[in-house]
Amino acid sequence: MTTLWDIFHLLTGTPLVFVAIAGLTWGILGGALPGISASITMALVLPFTYTMDPAMAIALLACVYIGAEYGGSIPAILIRTPGTNSAAATVIDGYELNKQGRAGEALGISLMSGVVGSLFGLAMLMMLTEPLSWLALAFTPASYFGLGILGLSVIASMTGGSLVKGLAAAVIGLMISTVGTDPISGVTRFTFDVPDLLSGVDPVLVMVGLFALTELMSQSGSSNVTRLKSSVRITLPSWAMMNKLKRAQIIGCILGTFEGLTPGGGGSIAAFMSYNEAKRWSKTPEKFGKGSEEGVAAPETANNTVASTALIPLLSFGIPSSNSTAVLLGGLLMHGLLPGPRLFEQNPQVIDSLYVGSFIAIIAQIGVGIVILPACIWLVNRPRPYRAGFIFALILSGIYTLNGSLFDLGIALVLGLVGYLMRIARIPFLPMILGVVLGHMVESSYRRSLVLSGGDHMVFLQDPIAVGFLLASLAFVVFSLSRELREARKAKLQEAHS
Amino acid sequence: MNKDSLSGLALIALAAVYYWATGAIADSTLGDEVGASGLPLVLAAALAAFGLMLLVRSLIEVRAARAKQSKEIAIDDDEEQDAKMPRAIGFLAFGAAYILILPYVGYLVGVALLIGSITLYEGAARRWTVPVAAIGGAVLYWAVFVKLLGVNQPAGTLFQGLFS
Repeated sequence: MTTLWDIFHLLTGTPLVFVAIAGLTWGILGGALPGISASITMALVLPFTYTMDPAMAIALLACVYIGAEYGGSIPAILIRTPGTNSAAATVIDGYELNKQGRAGEALGISLMSGVVGSLFGLAMLMMLTEPLSWLALAFTPASYFGLGILGLSVIASMTGGSLVKGLAAAVIGLMISTVGTDPISGVTRFTFDVPDLLSGVDPVLVMVGLFALTELMSQSGSSNVTRLKSSVRITLPSWAMMNKLKRAQIIGCILGTFEGLTPGGGGSIAAFMSYNEAKRWSKTPEKFGKGSEEGVAAPETANNTVASTALIPLLSFGIPSSNSTAVLLGGLLMHGLLPGPRLFEQNPQVIDSLYVGSFIAIIAQIGVGIVILPACIWLVNRPRPYRAGFIFALILSGIYTLNGSLFDLGIALVLGLVGYLMRIARIPFLPMILGVVLGHMVESSYRRSLVLSGGDHMVFLQDPIAVGFLLASLAFVVFSLSRELREARKAKLQEAHS
Repeated sequence: MNKDSLSGLALIALAAVYYWATGAIADSTLGDEVGASGLPLVLAAALAAFGLMLLVRSLIEVRAARAKQSKEIAIDDDEEQDAKMPRAIGFLAFGAAYILILPYVGYLVGVALLIGSITLYEGAARRWTVPVAAIGGAVLYWAVFVKLLGVNQPAGTLFQGLFS
């Protein structure tokens, strides 16, 4: 039983406060650099933790994770480049707000939503680890298939006004996800004897190509976008604004908690689904995609909640739900700590440090954000020619860090061209991104389920979690399509009247 | 022919190429009922269907627009975007050149050249600030990626060992 004295001792008798803030700052820096994922950021500090006290080492890794998940939103808002996969949904409205000269406001909203999500996730982690952890064990391949379909169903509301184009984009995304080694038989597909393609096309390359390079290409030579004219001040949301964002943040907290418990999708599915649900329940859904504050708050709350709740299956059963939690698992094992119920009994100081350190990092996130974010805004407010050169070099440097491959740079450039042509043809990017992110999960879990059931498709209807997901997907699609049809009919009527 | 018709044709062509490439997927004794080419075949068919739908819909719309004689909407925007296309592709060409020279000149020199050339290409005045920004930016990125994060960026055969 942890007492207040134990917590006081942790705060004053150990370097936990320093460790938490240092880990958070490093995490934000890593998460903000395109190509440096949360897991890479954590892996880079892993060797330094070898000689540290185990409790401090685990706290440091957890704080890096919290910082990196938040840091991914900074380039997403400022340069249309998600620093991490889970920040892809933040690009949509975050960058729109930046274009309107409201970068400080967007970063303030993402900062506070991240704090809300992280605090909620931490509370869930502390209170519900045992009761919620059964869910992680209940997942079968059929459940994963259902989860993947649920993620893909979001596409129906992200088609940008043309369902056919949106679906075509999703299919192209799924096609990209089939490149590489087949998940079941191990044969190669669409690799054309190029070794760099054996492990497939990293979703980060697709996001950077479609979002960042396309934006740089579109701005090239434009005289009307010489400066983004954003104030360098960070504007934290007022109480009134926080009240307005309440619904979106609650959605993010709920979906983030759920997603954190389900291995596989990282924060991406939670972020996209939260965005979709926030739009559905918003009083101003028409603002989404055009600079909606709720459109920033919902995905940021969700992916920061995931950063904490993803630790529930890890600490309970040693199940890492993402690459980042796998690195944390490595840290635990490196210090001779075995995840599971006995970890809580035998090493309570490790758990206490993890909880208290995470709490310090979450609160410190506000202060660190206020200090470093104005500098980030100042940087992207430089004259456009210089900004373009620096961003392009940053993106190419970041991509190279993924696999140390020049071939990856080539893929990103090709995808930039594809994105530019898609923009001209008014084909939406987001369905394609979702297809790339979820394609592997959907295909492998579908085929694994069939292998386990001897080819019987009823397996998807016999698994209650899968049935729940599939029904929810159906409801999402029907609702989104009816809304789209309603809006199209309304637009036609207005056109007829005018 | 409008952009949607061209998009539809492009999607059909992409589906055909993808379908043709599925033929190269080898059969495996470890293969399951669906097989490694199962999903790709479905995707090729789906993309072709969506391409066809887009093509047919756009042709119908063009015919309707001609009948109404009201085609002027949004054409200005499209023309502006088309005019910018060579410039946008030129931007990417600098990236391609960077990939080609990187193994020879190495990261530090390559990034400096990239920043400098893009800055000039985007219309910066030819002043001393351009090379200063290019060299300063390259040193900053080199410090962050190579020294701080320990990423092995290409050292380059021309200046091997100098900047690694």
